[in-house]
Amino acid sequence: MESTTQNRPPIVEMRGIKKNFGAVQALRGVDLVLPHNEVLGLVGDNAAGKSTLMKILSGAYTPDEGEIILDGQPVHFSSPLDARRQGIEMVYQDYALANNLDIAANVFLGREAVSFSLGPISVLDYHLMEQETKRLLERLKIRVDSVRQKVERLSGGQRQAVAIARATAFDAKVIIMDEPTAALSVAAISKVLDLIRELKAQGASIIIISHRLEDIYHVGDRMMVLRHGRKVHDAPIEGDIHEFRERAVAYMVGARNDFPVEEVA
Amino acid sequence: MSFIEHSKKILRENIRDYGMYIALFIIMAVFTATTDGVFISSRNIVNLVNQTGYIAVLAVGMTLVIVIRHIDLSVGFLAGFLGAVAAIAMVFWHWPSLTAILFALGLGIVAGLLTAFLVAQLGIPSFVATLAGWLGYRGALQLVTRNTGTIIIPNDAFNAIGNGFIPDIPVAIWPNVHKLTLILGVIGIAFFVWNEISKRKKLQAYNFEVLPPEMFVLKLVFISLLLGSIAWVLAGYRGLSWTAVIVLVVLLVYDFIATKTVLGRHIYAVGGNPEAAELSGISVKRITFVVFASMGFLSALSGILFASRLQSATTTAGTLFELDAIAAAFVGGVSAAGGVGKVTGAIIGALVMTSLTSGMNLMSIDISYQYIVRALVLAIAVIFDVATRNTRK
Ligand SMILES: Nc1ncnc2c1ncn2[C@@H]1O[C@H](COP(=O)(O)OP(=O)(O)OP(=O)(O)O)[C@@H](O)[C@H]1O
Ligand SMILES: [Mg+2]
Repeated sequence: MESTTQNRPPIVEMRGIKKNFGAVQALRGVDLVLPHNEVLGLVGDNAAGKSTLMKILSGAYTPDEGEIILDGQPVHFSSPLDARRQGIEMVYQDYALANNLDIAANVFLGREAVSFSLGPISVLDYHLMEQETKRLLERLKIRVDSVRQKVERLSGGQRQAVAIARATAFDAKVIIMDEPTAALSVAAISKVLDLIRELKAQGASIIIISHRLEDIYHVGDRMMVLRHGRKVHDAPIEGDIHEFRERAVAYMVGARNDFPVEEVA
Repeated sequence: MSFIEHSKKILRENIRDYGMYIALFIIMAVFTATTDGVFISSRNIVNLVNQTGYIAVLAVGMTLVIVIRHIDLSVGFLAGFLGAVAAIAMVFWHWPSLTAILFALGLGIVAGLLTAFLVAQLGIPSFVATLAGWLGYRGALQLVTRNTGTIIIPNDAFNAIGNGFIPDIPVAIWPNVHKLTLILGVIGIAFFVWNEISKRKKLQAYNFEVLPPEMFVLKLVFISLLLGSIAWVLAGYRGLSWTAVIVLVVLLVYDFIATKTVLGRHIYAVGGNPEAAELSGISVKRITFVVFASMGFLSALSGILFASRLQSATTTAGTLFELDAIAAAFVGGVSAAGGVGKVTGAIIGALVMTSLTSGMNLMSIDISYQYIVRALVLAIAVIFDVATRNTRK
């Protein structure tokens, strides 16, 4: 086990990523490594560049400089759909679900199962999609009355669970979650965290952006801190929670700054 | 769960759908009573269906347009204009009726694509883009009919679309009953019952919730009776009209696309959450083009039905059709918020609106009051919609 993990290249590597928006240097040369089957917590103050970095990884933005290596292969994404096809799934902060459709329809949105096609008309395979959705939700221990329930009738926590289930439905290599616990009740948060643990137990590699440091502490293997578009800390999560929190905050606000960086001109 | 409790639950969950049917039923019952049964006579029902046709096909297209959060105000005069084009092609260019019809339908698609280009490509709000269309097609209609005024169409095949009936089988029994219509009615009922039963079996096989047996049987009996009495009423006059056949085909094709195909799924996804649809790899632009092209096609069909019914193209054809179609779509349960609305609802909505007009005409109610009554029905439909939507949350 130990040796296979070490020989295998990381599932994702980002090297020297730079991104400017006009005069704003959102990312100034960021490296990121995500080993197989690990959960990486990405933290940082507002405007540190977290979402920008993840949007580059999910194909929504193209970087000005730098490269992305997926499972040992250099990749370029032309669109979120392209990234999705290559195995990168993103759970957006506002869930990005169609509330007027049912759970199964949302899980398969844009990737519907087809029973047969006649020219431009493809007929939906309802039963396959509903069965698969049922199985998926059972596997992830997500409880809903029926996969035919409309998403608008679900609670916030259930919606987040559906959004996460949707990201895992097609054997994604990497799942990115932008603030998966924002705007949820305490009970719903603990359910979402359980779900993330369950995904990890089933072999997923995950990146989580969160302002809730305790969430990162509870489910993460590593923590990476961004500050003003630079990586200022990257270490395994260890120690007790108070110590962890102090360390994270110190890096986030710039009180500590001891990360070995080659100075970029 | 007891039968009563179950019925209550189902009624509560589907109140918006059932409300529409109940409204249609009440309207028909009231007019039947106030006109001493003239309203429900075979002859009047056939007229009603033929009058509903050209609004119903527009309402179907409009429902999908509203589902993707747009509107199309240009459909009325586009229908009028394309009806005139078909008439000109037949009368002045001496084209065969089929060629003229295909030409008008093709132009309708082009007009729809043009609207979609303004809306999806240039980002112009559909309200403004189609208001321009409203003005433009109105001008075009006046232009092409300026020198001739009303164009009389002396083409029997074309005029049969709006006035003719399907032929009957030549058998000597029951001379006053249209046998083919009755047979089609029986086939329709058989198909409906078979379809419902096989759907139910499949659902049970997959352990999904189904209606309790009493409710299921009640539903089968009720709808079969409804279909049967419609067939009976129509068979008592001259049978199924060609307009009814066209509306049925449009209904079946559109309902199939909306509920059973990937395209339909994507249309509703775009209406429900355009950003989410786009992120899922659905092209909102493509869907917008498809939906407006279908609207243009149905506008042309509406124009042909109307011209055929009047056996002529007039300078004012299509006036206010767009508002009737929008009203029918809303009565039929479409939601302005997008993503919600059925094709079947659009047809029922159109029937409600034409029943009102027809019934009030039979009662010789002043036209001013007629507008006010239709306004009230539209307002009630939307208020009902908003109210039931809120309690569901
Ligand atoms: N599309 C854009 N156009 C212009 N500037 C942008 C854009 N996206 C991000 N930025 C800028 O880049 C910087 C980093 O933004 P980013 O959204 O990545 O921060 P973040 O770490 O996700 O912050 P938060 O915690 O508030 O979500 C900010 O200064 C932001 O204003
Ligand atoms: Mg962010």
